[in-house]
Formats: sequence, structure tokens, C-alpha cells
Amino acid sequence: MSIREQVVDSWREYRKDGYYDEFDYAWTMTIDLDRCTGCGACVTACQAENNIPIVGKEELELGREMQWIRIERYWEGEYPNAKLKFIPMLCQHCDAAPCETVCPVTATYHNQDGLNVQVYNRCIGTRSCAVYCPYTVRYFNFKEHHWDAPLEQQLNPDVTVREKGVMEKCTFCVQRIRQAKDHAKDDGRRRVRDGEVQPACVQTCPSEALVFGDRKDPESRVSKSMNDARAYRVLGELNTKPSVVYLKKVDADAD
Amino acid sequence: MNVSIVPTLKVLKPAARIVLVALVGIAAGYFANAAFFPGTSPEQPIAFSHRIHAGDNEIPCLYCHVQARRSISAGVPSLSKCMGCHAEVAADRPQVRLLASYWENKEPIAWIKVHDLPDFVHFTHKRHVAAGIECQTCHGPVETMEVVSREAPVKMGLCLNCHRENEVQHGTDCWTCHK
Amino acid sequence: MSRVDRREFLKLIGAGSVGTGAGFMLAESIKHPVEYLIPYPVPPEEFSPGIATWYNSVCGMCSAGCGISVRTREGRAKKIEGNPSHPVNQGRLCALGQAGLQVLYNPDRLTAPMLQNGDRGSDEFVEITWDDGLSRAAERLNAARERGGGIYFLSQGVRGHLANLFELFMGELTGEPGSARLLHYDFTHPHALYAANKRLFGETHLPYYDIGNSRYLLSFGADYLTDWLSPVHHSLGFGQSRQGNAGVRGRCVQIEPRMSLSGAAADEWIPARPGTEGYLALSIAHRLVAEGTYRGGDLDAWRAALADYAPERVAEPTGVPEETIARLAREFARAEPGLAIGGGSAAAHTNGVDTLIAVNVLNYLAGNIGKPGGIVFNPDPVTGGSSVDRQANYRAMQSLVENARQGNIDVLIVNNTNPVFTLPAASGFRDALASIPTIVSLSSFMDETTILADVMLPSHTFLESWGDDMPEPGVGFSVGAISQPVVAPLYKTRATGDIVLGLAGKLGFAESLPWASMEDFLKAGWRQIYARGAGESTDFDAFWRDVIVAGVWGENLRRNDNKVIDTSVIEGIGMPAPRFAGDNDTYPFILHPYLTTALHDGRSANLPWMQELPDPMTGIVYGSWVEINPVTASEMGFEDGDVVTVTSAQGSIEAPVLTFPAIMPGVVAMPIGQGHHALGRYARNRGTNPIEILAPETEPASGSLATSATRVALAATGRRAAPVKTGGESRQLGRGIVQSTGGHSGSAGHSARLNSIPIVVEST
Repeated sequence: MSIREQVVDSWREYRKDGYYDEFDYAWTMTIDLDRCTGCGACVTACQAENNIPIVGKEELELGREMQWIRIERYWEGEYPNAKLKFIPMLCQHCDAAPCETVCPVTATYHNQDGLNVQVYNRCIGTRSCAVYCPYTVRYFNFKEHHWDAPLEQQLNPDVTVREKGVMEKCTFCVQRIRQAKDHAKDDGRRRVRDGEVQPACVQTCPSEALVFGDRKDPESRVSKSMNDARAYRVLGELNTKPSVVYLKKVDADAD
Repeated sequence: MNVSIVPTLKVLKPAARIVLVALVGIAAGYFANAAFFPGTSPEQPIAFSHRIHAGDNEIPCLYCHVQARRSISAGVPSLSKCMGCHAEVAADRPQVRLLASYWENKEPIAWIKVHDLPDFVHFTHKRHVAAGIECQTCHGPVETMEVVSREAPVKMGLCLNCHRENEVQHGTDCWTCHK
Repeated sequence: MSRVDRREFLKLIGAGSVGTGAGFMLAESIKHPVEYLIPYPVPPEEFSPGIATWYNSVCGMCSAGCGISVRTREGRAKKIEGNPSHPVNQGRLCALGQAGLQVLYNPDRLTAPMLQNGDRGSDEFVEITWDDGLSRAAERLNAARERGGGIYFLSQGVRGHLANLFELFMGELTGEPGSARLLHYDFTHPHALYAANKRLFGETHLPYYDIGNSRYLLSFGADYLTDWLSPVHHSLGFGQSRQGNAGVRGRCVQIEPRMSLSGAAADEWIPARPGTEGYLALSIAHRLVAEGTYRGGDLDAWRAALADYAPERVAEPTGVPEETIARLAREFARAEPGLAIGGGSAAAHTNGVDTLIAVNVLNYLAGNIGKPGGIVFNPDPVTGGSSVDRQANYRAMQSLVENARQGNIDVLIVNNTNPVFTLPAASGFRDALASIPTIVSLSSFMDETTILADVMLPSHTFLESWGDDMPEPGVGFSVGAISQPVVAPLYKTRATGDIVLGLAGKLGFAESLPWASMEDFLKAGWRQIYARGAGESTDFDAFWRDVIVAGVWGENLRRNDNKVIDTSVIEGIGMPAPRFAGDNDTYPFILHPYLTTALHDGRSANLPWMQELPDPMTGIVYGSWVEINPVTASEMGFEDGDVVTVTSAQGSIEAPVLTFPAIMPGVVAMPIGQGHHALGRYARNRGTNPIEILAPETEPASGSLATSATRVALAATGRRAAPVKTGGESRQLGRGIVQSTGGHSGSAGHSARLNSIPIVVEST
């Protein structure tokens, strides 16, 4: 078998339906767009939790923003019928992630919890993954970031501070997942309880638009939420099988 | 055309000697640093001997490093813990007197970290203690050491081999240890 | 081997030494940096290295009074989350609350007491000791007292026991308890809302607006998701009303000239001419009475009061079609319950109080008083008096300015409020400070007001201080929360309460203010709360500990009282026309300054997270802009990024143009918060401050500044400076990223529920 065939075969294998059924957890987030107000609390909560650098005005002018979760805004219509719609956008932790197949050093891959992993110390900064990501949720460290003292005292010791030349993105707050598993082991439980893990964005959302949990547990809040009639996946036609499920905004005046 | 490499070599000969001497110098400097300023067994503010405590007196590791069984970090004992014994025991020895002077001034002791993992590694003492891993597996025979040095190569290979041998659940997943 | 001559020998020696040095440095460079393990001499009881400790406290970023839980590791604060037990925010927090950590760890904090060492504003200071600082301040205060001169204390709005301490201190200092020289000043304080509630319902405190249980929310200019009263609580309510009440999806309608965040979240956004929101409310009221929705008494009085506000008459001045008004009235009447709220720009006109009365009339006529999903009146605060009466409106600030000019003020104490930035230049506040011989600042940062002070006694941040807060408007019953220090103080600063007690000590007030510290004062105050009923705690110490651990205390004093409005009050209902400063021809646009979550009244412009949080409506970071209707902009030949001057009769500022699809043609909008000349590296010299050019136009009934009553003109400068904008394409272009579905009713989603408060006592 040629290398090409091997690669294609392995891709086929992990894109088959049911490939992930053997995995332990399938961490999933639902985002109810009818509840989301676009306030941005999730954005700052994420920056605080995940040591996301302050990039500065000059870098932002170059489009080098760093927000693992961001609010996208889309206008519809014109005055006086203009509408503004918000959508929080973060790494979709796709089961068939385009970013994973292109990393030359396997610094990004899918793990047994259904998470799209980014290993910083393995990343060599080719930025291929960012090019292939249809959601543009991967962020590259174009420079060594700096915290004016004593702002660095706020940095979360459970999360790596990334260096220049490394790609980074939403981890579903893996440090919180890890801690919840640790507590479960302490209590002699095999599994993490529903609601025990809440990523920073979900925890803080003032309108309770975000729900996080394990979709393998049919009783979990996220399972129930993702089975709502309003559920859809962004750019679902690309067949990336995202683990972030959106609930459609209700347009009360339509039909 | 008749081209010879010999003239070039002749010109380079003195330079080669200098380069050779410089290379020897680099090697000497490198090893001198490693030999005389070993980062792995630094001089601590108090000449604490693990041999006396953990070896001769057989004090269990977790008696002092009490956090190891409930935290990611094993912790170093607080001054109050040391003084719990040393208010009475061996109070006349010079190093213990040094300890007592810290205690009187309520000045914390800045111990130098010997076993230090990179910041992108998540290691939890709690889970490893709970799994019954001996401290010596990673820290070496500390109870025999007058001055602690890093003997076991605490590199990724050590972790992975152990995780593989013990068939740790998801023990080779990157996000088990990398954060 | 050839002989080594001297020259060659020296070369070799040189090469050898350089090589050795290089090798040594190489080994050094790849060595792990030395790290230390520094254990506590005596560790605190709850401390373990590697394990996070959480402390409950109170958020100090705005006046909503949310409960917070702060995660600390190794003695450092790492993350702020909402306290799940606190009924106001129920575990949730806004972006500004999350950024509280950057107040604590801000690199531009004042770190020790200082003395102005040059002319005011020269930015030359010398560090002094606390004893020296307090003595100097006390000396000047004593001198002023002996002279019989004026002493003013100007604080940011504070509640709870700190407010009581200020009262005691100023009572003692001026010799008159309840001295009018104690002022709380917040730019965002809703004076008009208080005045309207007082007039219509006779209430001195704001009622609780139950958005979560309402089926129809009619908001007149109140940006309840961004800055109005208690945004996190309102967001919870919004979520619940949308998708949390089984079977019914609440509808939200927002009426305002420029779409706010709440306008974007609403199902319907209706632009109404600035200052005419009250006409619209009375017009809906007219329909409620005419169609028999209102079933209470005084029907004739109501008919008479509302006679002039039939939809066909109001359509023209408001710019809202007659049928829309009739439909709104129909929908509001049918919703059970519906809720009408008003604030923001609607309250910031010269008829603001009348507008808010008109809005409350809707709630009254629809029978929404004292009901879930409507308006619930709050009990009086448990700390006794309320500092709300202390809030200085624009009129009070003007009389302060006048007193200063006349030389009646010897000493001004300023505590964490920044009127130099948040009062218009026309107020003359900045210049009046020059006539005050001594200014003492207790602020934590070198803001525009503090930079003019003579003595700086910097206070701790809220994360380092003891305190408490009784949130207002709260949630319909009494809630109190204790704020405790979550980290050891970073610098040589002191808690505000301790500074005041320190001054009291220097002034010889030991008899009337005998407490050694704010903590003691707080405990003494909470003993009285304990006496009201302690729940399950056996003694005060246990109660105190329980409240600190829980972070919140509640008392079930719900009032479900209805109100009957007096006939005389009904007769007084009506809408005067709004006045605008500046004539239409010279100044064709009405300036609409608005607040954002991130920068609030400008106080958080020094927080890098807030500077880098894209503005929710525009995606802009680090800067100011002027929003213009796209059609108007193209008529005037403006493109996005063209720098224009915005000129009022009071002054002129510059900002780049941003065409904004949801703003009325005659209105231009600017965000508040940028344009600082001080406040540290992240805030300074960015954007412009629209407050600067506001006309000193006041709302007569409440005495507050009518911030939306200034007319302006725009003129091109010929320069371009596009604001930094994050995000990509502003339209979906058929990609179906945000999808929506038809208007069927909501699903039975999860519902925001009030978590049980650990300590709730039934009052005895």
C-alpha cells in the first residue's frame, strides 16, 4: 500500500459513522442563539481562564486578534428594518476535523474524549491547521506576548502560557475537565457527573445560552438540548461533524 | 586547468588550529559549568539532609510532604512543621539554629526547586501517590542523599514508559499530561 | 608541527578562553531557570499549594452589586466567577465583572500615599508615609473646621456600611448629621427613574422589574442587557423569558433612536424620535384605557389625562406609524403579564421623568404592579438609611462648583469618582477645583480628578477590602452580601473605610467612631442584622462566619402590595416637548452618547481586557467613533473611517465616522468611555469623550443632566483614521451561519431558577 493509500484509508476510518462510539466521553456544547444577547461575557471569561494574551492595538490592526471564543455579528436588512444577529464562535471540536489531517507533526489530533487537541510543545507553527479550519477559530502567536507587571499574577497556573510560533485554540477548558475527572476518581466514581464540568464561557453566560456536557449520556442537559428541534451545526454541509451544536434563533415575525 | 587544494589548506592550517583550540575550550567550559555549578543539586539555604530524616530516622516522605496525597503539588513543609520537632530535637546543631533564626523572624525559606517540570506539563502528585507509585521512582533514592540531586531522568520517556507498562487509562494521550 | 610564535600563542589563548566562556554560557543557557519553593512560615488554615481556594465577595465594577466567587491559587486571585447563591446574578457575571482582576493587578495602580510636588496637574508627586499623609489631610481638615470653612466629601456611589461610615464621619466633621456636604456621584445613577417612581408610586427605592416572568417586554430606551440597573440579572431574566418558561416565548420590543445591545436582542426594534418615547407610552396607555384593558378606578381622570395622546396624534411627532402603536397596545394588553421599562436615552432628555412616569403608567394600567412578571416593590434596606438620597445630580454638582468658585470650599475629599471626566466641560468642574485650596483623593488610580489632588491616600481595590453591599434594585426582597479581602494587599494602600477611620483618629473622633478597622465597624453593623433573626446560626460569630462563607444573606420581606395612584397625580400626567441645546440649522444632529458594558462610564478604560473586548454592536476595539445612518453619511459624502469634527455649542471633538445600519437619520451616536488624559497606559490618549461637549441641559424634575439633549454639527477634516475593527464580513452572504426558525412558541428549555440562598431568615 502506498503512503497515499494509507493516509486516505486512515482518514476514511475515522470519518466513518460510529467511529467515536467507543470513546469515553463526547464533550459537546450547545449554544442557544435565541438566548444569546451578544454581550461578550464569555469572551472575557475565556481570556481570564486561558491566559489569552493582551495583543495590543498594533497587532489587532494587523488582524492578529486572540479570542478562543468570539462573538460574530451579522447585519440583515436596512434601516429601519435592520437586524443584528450574534453568534458565539469557538473551536467546534469537529469529529472530522480538517485541521487534524494537515498537521505535519500531529500536534493536533482527536482524543478519546472527543476533543480536538492542540499540543503546544509539539507545534512547529506551520499554520496549516488555521488555513484548513473553515471556522477560523485557530489563533497563531505571531510574537512573544507580554504582561505588564503585575498583570502576570493573574495567569492561571493550570494552563500553559504559549510562546511565539505556536498555534492555539479553544480546549473546552480541558484543565477543568481534567480536574472534574480527578474529583470523580477521588470519590470512586467512574464518570464525571453532568454539570460538574463547565468551561469558563458556559459558567459565566448571563443569559444561560451555553450548555456543556457529555452527549454520550442521554440524560445530560446537553443531550436534551442538542435534540431540540432548533438544533443545527454551522457549515454543516462541510461534514466536519462539529461538537458544538447551535439552536436556531427564533424569528417571531417569520411565517 | 590545474587546480590544487593544497594552497588553501596551507592558508587554513593556522586557522584550523585556532578552531580546534576553541572547540576544546567550548567543551571544557560546558563541562566545567556542569561539574562546578550543577543545577541538579543546588546549594540550599539550609543544608537539610534527607539522609538523616528519611534514611536514618525513617520518617515517611508524606509526613513532611503532606500535600502530595491531596494536591498536584507535594509541597515543602512550613517552618511551623519543622519547628514542631526542632523546637526540641537537635536544637543545638548549627543548621537547626539557622532554621530557628528563620522561625524567630518568621522569614520564609526560599528552597531551590530540584525537580522542576516545564510549565506545559501537568503532573499531579495526588494521582500517583494514590496509585501507589513510590516517590523514589521519579525522585531517586532521596533517603540516601545528603544533598538532593536530580538522579532519575525526569523526561517524557520516563513518564511514557511507566504509563505504558502500567497500562494507565489514556496514559499516552497528550492531554493527559500536557496542558 | 610548526613552531608556535608569540602572536600565534596569543591567538590560541584567545580562542581557548572565548571557547571556554562560550561553552560555559551554553551550558548555562540550556539549564532550567532556578525556581524556588517558598513555604509559609505558618500556613493559613485553608491554604494548600496546588489547590485553589475560593472566596465569596461582592463585585465592585458597577452598582448592580453581584455576588462573586474568586478563585485563588497560592495567594493570588486567578479568576472571578459569579456566586451561585447570590440571587442577583445566580453564578453568572458580565465581561466587566470578569475583568475585576485587572483592577487588582493593574500596573498603573497608586501604590502608596503621595503628595503633589508641583503645580496641580504637573504629574509630579513624592511618596510619603501613611502617618504623614493622614496627618497632613487631618491638619487641613482641622484648619478648615476652625475657620468654619467648607469641607466636602465626594464619593462614588457606595451602599451598605461604608455609606454609614461616611455619614458618621461627615456628621462629626461638619458638626451637622446628615450634612449636605456628603455627596455620592455616579454618572450612571438613574436620577430620573427614582424621581418618576417617587412621583407615581411614592416609593423612595427602585422596584424590582421581573423580566424573567414577563411575556412581553416593552423597553423605552432602557439598555437592560448592557448598563441599566442590573444587567446580569436582566440577562438571566431575558434568557428565561425567551426559552425558559415552558410553552411560551416572551417577546421583547425595544424603542430607541439607536439600536442598543438590547435592541439587537429584541424581537422588534422601533426607532422613535429622541425625546418622544413618553408620547408613545402615553399613546399605548390611551389605547389600554380606550379598549377597556384598564379596569381600575378614576377612569374619567385617566381618559382626560390621556385624551391628547391618541395614536393618530402621536404618530407624527414620534415618527412611529399609527398602526404600529395600536398593535403594540394590543400586544401589551394581551400579554399576561407584560412589563414596560424605561431608561437610557429615553430618560436622558429634558422630559425624562415625564417619560418614565408614562412608562410606569403602562404597568399600572395593565395591572402589572406587585405581580410576578411585573413590578415588585422592594423593602427598605436593612442597613437603615440609604445612600441613594446622597446621590448628587447635576444640579447638586453645579452648586458644588458654585461654592468652590465663591471660595466656600476649603477641603474636598474625593473617593474613586471622576467628575472631571464624567461632567461636561460646560459644568466648569475642572476649573472650579482650582479654587479649592486642598483636594484629598482616596482613589486607587491616577484618574483625571485625582491628578489634580494635593494629597493622595490611595485605597485598596474591592478585592482587598472589607465591605458589604445591599444591592438596589435587588430582587424584591432584602439581600446583603459581605465583601471580604480575597488576597493580601499588593501595595501600601488601605481600605477606604480604614482611611476614613484613620482620618477620624487623627481628628480626635475616637469617641463617636471608636472602631479600630473597617472590619470591626462592619461586624458591629452586622450584629444588628444578626439581631433581626439569624436563621440557624447559634451565635454571632457563627452567623458572621456563615454569611462570609455563603457570601450572601437574605431576608424574606416580600411586598406584594398594589398601588392606587392618586387622582391628583393622574391629572399631572402628560408629556412636555423635549428641549435640545443648539438650533436646528447650525447643529442638525442630535447627539446620542451611550454606555457600553466594557468601558462603563469610562472607569474601566484602563483594563486591557475591556479595551480588547470588541464592542458588541460594531466589533471595534481601542477607540471612539461616530455612528451615522448610512443614507445620511452618503448624502454628506462621509465614508467609514473619515475623521469628522463633532461640534456642539459647547465644544468640538474629533472621531472617525462609522455608518451604522440601525440609527435614525437625524441622530448621531458616540460611545462613552474613551478620551482619557490620565488613568494609566491602557486608557490614556485613546479616542474622545463625548461627555465633554454636552450642553448643561438639565431634566427639571430630577435635576439630572439631560445627556441626550445636545445638538451637534458634523464637518469633515479631510483625514482618515479607521477604527480598529475585529471580525470579518458584516453580512452572512447566504452562508447560513446564524440560522433562524419560524415564530412558533418556545421549547421547554431549562429555566433560570433562583438558587436557594443558604441563609434566609424570616423576619421576626
